[in-house]
Amino acid sequence: MTRRIVIVGAGLAGLAAAWSARRRGHEVTIVSAGPGASALGGGAVDDVPWEQLVRASRALGIAPRARPLPDDVHAFASDLGAWNLPEGSLSWVATIAGRLRPARGCDRALLDLASLAGARVLLPRVNRMSWDADAIAAGLTDDPFARAHRITFLAADVPVLRFDEERRIADGDLALRHDAEPRLAWLAAHLTEGLARASATAALLGPWLGARASQAAALSQRVGAPVGEALLGVGSPAGLRFEAARDRLLDALDARVLVDRVTTITRDEGLAVTLEHGASLSADGVILAVGGLVGGGLVYDPPDHSAAADLPAGVRAPFALSLRAPVTLIANLGTDALTGEATSSLHGPAIETTAWPRGNRAGTLESAGIRCKGVRAAEGIMAAGDVVAGRQRTVLEAVAAGIRAGAEV
Amino acid sequence: MPVLLIKTSRPPAVANALKPKRRPEVDVDVIVIGGGVNGVGVARDASMRGLSVALFERNDLAFGASGNSSGMIHGGLRYLTYDPQVTESSCRDSGHIQTIAPHLLFRIPFLVPVESRRYARILFELMDGFFEAYDGYQPLKHGKSHARLTASEVKQLEPGIAGELVGGLTFDEWGIDGARLCTENAVDAIERGARVFTGCTVERIERREDTGEVMGVAYRDRHTGKAGRLKSSVVVNATGAWAPITAAIGGLAPTRARVRPGKGIHIVFDRRLTNYAIMARTIDGRQIFVEPWENMTVVGTTDDDYYGDLDDVRSTSEEVRYLMQGVARVFPEIRRARAIGTYAGVRPTLYAFGPSEDALSRDHAILDHTRDGAPGLYSMVGGKLASYRLFAEEMTDILSERFGLGVPCATHTSPLPGGDAVCDAIKLATRLEIDAVAARRLVYRHGSRAERIAERIQQRPREAVTVCPCEPVLEAEVRYAVKHELARTVADVSRRTRLGLGACGGMRCAARCGQIVAEEQGLSPREGLRQASSFLLRQAAMRAPALGPEQARQEALAIASVRAELGLGLDDPDEAEANATAEARVEATA
Repeated sequence: MTRRIVIVGAGLAGLAAAWSARRRGHEVTIVSAGPGASALGGGAVDDVPWEQLVRASRALGIAPRARPLPDDVHAFASDLGAWNLPEGSLSWVATIAGRLRPARGCDRALLDLASLAGARVLLPRVNRMSWDADAIAAGLTDDPFARAHRITFLAADVPVLRFDEERRIADGDLALRHDAEPRLAWLAAHLTEGLARASATAALLGPWLGARASQAAALSQRVGAPVGEALLGVGSPAGLRFEAARDRLLDALDARVLVDRVTTITRDEGLAVTLEHGASLSADGVILAVGGLVGGGLVYDPPDHSAAADLPAGVRAPFALSLRAPVTLIANLGTDALTGEATSSLHGPAIETTAWPRGNRAGTLESAGIRCKGVRAAEGIMAAGDVVAGRQRTVLEAVAAGIRAGAEV
Repeated sequence: MPVLLIKTSRPPAVANALKPKRRPEVDVDVIVIGGGVNGVGVARDASMRGLSVALFERNDLAFGASGNSSGMIHGGLRYLTYDPQVTESSCRDSGHIQTIAPHLLFRIPFLVPVESRRYARILFELMDGFFEAYDGYQPLKHGKSHARLTASEVKQLEPGIAGELVGGLTFDEWGIDGARLCTENAVDAIERGARVFTGCTVERIERREDTGEVMGVAYRDRHTGKAGRLKSSVVVNATGAWAPITAAIGGLAPTRARVRPGKGIHIVFDRRLTNYAIMARTIDGRQIFVEPWENMTVVGTTDDDYYGDLDDVRSTSEEVRYLMQGVARVFPEIRRARAIGTYAGVRPTLYAFGPSEDALSRDHAILDHTRDGAPGLYSMVGGKLASYRLFAEEMTDILSERFGLGVPCATHTSPLPGGDAVCDAIKLATRLEIDAVAARRLVYRHGSRAERIAERIQQRPREAVTVCPCEPVLEAEVRYAVKHELARTVADVSRRTRLGLGACGGMRCAARCGQIVAEEQGLSPREGLRQASSFLLRQAAMRAPALGPEQARQEALAIASVRAELGLGLDDPDEAEANATAEARVEATA
């Protein structure tokens, strides 16, 4: 039976839910108010937080290993076409801070160092903010993974910028210029020469290789050696590439997309989704995929913020979490910390002590959200992705939950 | 009676009958403990008068109260009613500091709105008279006379001020970067032959068993773990709030160098919100202010007795709310402003029973511990940023007499490094092809020594890259801070350059700064990254209490960014320690 499904949020979880629901023949409407965390992602595709992998491997004294992924996750990734997601091995990517880290997979533009044992990797010196080739190269060469696999990094003078203003433009704008064929050829020629001069076998660049799609493969082919990007944690062009891939996939799926903000979700006979601007929608099922705080789906709204002069005494923290839908919000902080709970509104995580993660424990800002059994938040309402409280906030977790929500709704 | 209290500002009458001349068996004439403004002040003065000096600082220069103050060289307005002499000497010394470090000072005009209530008119007249009296001292510090404003003039100057007013009064003060002041004193001392050890804690002040005389110190480098000893017959305890602890490692009872530890926090906003610093009152009637300071706004301050860990003083939500509540009554817009952090320090107030923190004198005293059976050991207790030079002069006068030097103090005439000449920021920017704002900030921090950083850039143009875009800070300056200004960690660089203290909280610059710091010192790049992540975590903890709800998302992004690039909790020292313990256990079992 064809059901009308409204998906709130067009990030990874929402997209995966749409993909999964369309596969089951449902009619899908996506409501999105704008880009969120997925569009800001750096391009590392994790199943579990990478620090956990590193800690576990340290504790066990073995190299971090890739865990198998469900078939539908692989199928989704292949339809999306933005990532390399190897079957049984981990990717290793270089961060712009000068560190090597494992990932379950990565954006296709990123340089995967897992298969580059013994490589001499060149980093072009580029006069741009936050790209200090010498320092990054020194940091990476010193990394245990690089030492174990005899990968060395060196900085060299290779022109990457063609025009002086490119020193100051955003990473995304520079990446966009490399979507153009002649510019890519220009870069390839210089890189080829630079690699030969430095007798290097691979090249690592900043996040500049394509905004609409990864140009790393085309560039590598021209240069005749692996060329890729370093990972920029937040605000990388990898987010732009995801958005482009998402739009292509949504087109292919024939899903309806509304740019609007959901204000309330009410349950009467069926579900009614009220929009800020457009007419309200009625649905047989709703999937909340509005992201965590980063995505902006959950809004911290303090009870006392608008109070004119004096704050009421006795409020423990200036925060409240709110979402207008018949679901339960929770700050999951474990047993040793405050656990607050109230339908659709949560007062008082003591942010100065709980906001940031400590060791293994997630902080308030990354664990507060909707309480869920599996992906079920309430009757007819599913939740997927970072909006779910107390679950790992990784790319593949969001995808898996989105797929499940789309299947179960 | 426990201690001899030498009264301030008079030529010190040292009750020390024997005046030991310099002895050949010592390494240095004087050891100063504490790299706050008083310690570096003494190190500089003593070096200028020809003594050989070593200074030990457990953390970093300006780590405590000196680097976490309201950043003002004020004229001692609060003493005007009961001790105008203190006001006069404060104003005169403020003038001296302008002579020796003109680049570091910037004008902060203050505005006191007078609320309309019972007797407000009378109060207004009284205050007017009070500030008129203060005007008499303003020329000493090149300050402007006060102005009497009507209610509508106040609102015109500061539209954000709320409430029914009868009028307002302005007065003039000077702002300063306390960390820069400390750094430049230390650098000057070094250039005059002093040795300054930052990150080195004195573990014991060694004294002769029979006479109790000071023989030297045993110290340990907290970064490398290396221990050492240095012989000297004089030790000056200039450790501020740590003074009782320092007395204790010298074998004295901590009560022999009593201070009242008064914790004060400040909230920092991302930009200048007002034209004037505006005075306000807290719910319990204390005076606080919102102050445009350098390129940001600072709200301060609290004053509470503090007996926690002095190496890790943190702000709390309660303190932030207490300040916000007070300021919001006068300036409600503060609630909409974007707070980007807090900082906290502990004042070493001169110890006294009875009076509330505010009524305590901020004045200072020098204790000669000969009376406690420890000849050669002195403690500097109390003091404030504005009077550091006077305090140091008094201490050095005692040393001068002890060593029979007969050289007068010259710290009020001889410029601090960078204070000798004016450097044109715009010309510098054009010449180096750097951002004009970056050049201006560079000149503010370094005065004429900005030229030395410019030289670096001319030799190595690559160092013109901006490391911290918020402040902004160039790579050359980071390297300069490590090479010539005793910075050893990312946090040290941040104190000297304000790197990472802007709106992004160091997210965009800490890692790179760490790499540079490590490289300059020949440490492994991983050590640099470790420093960066511990700096970021500390910044995050100091930021959290002040965050408004609008910033929760940005904070979540900050977490995501650190997670993605550096990893969280991978290199924290606790974990390293736990691993080491676990390894030791395994070895023991084997």
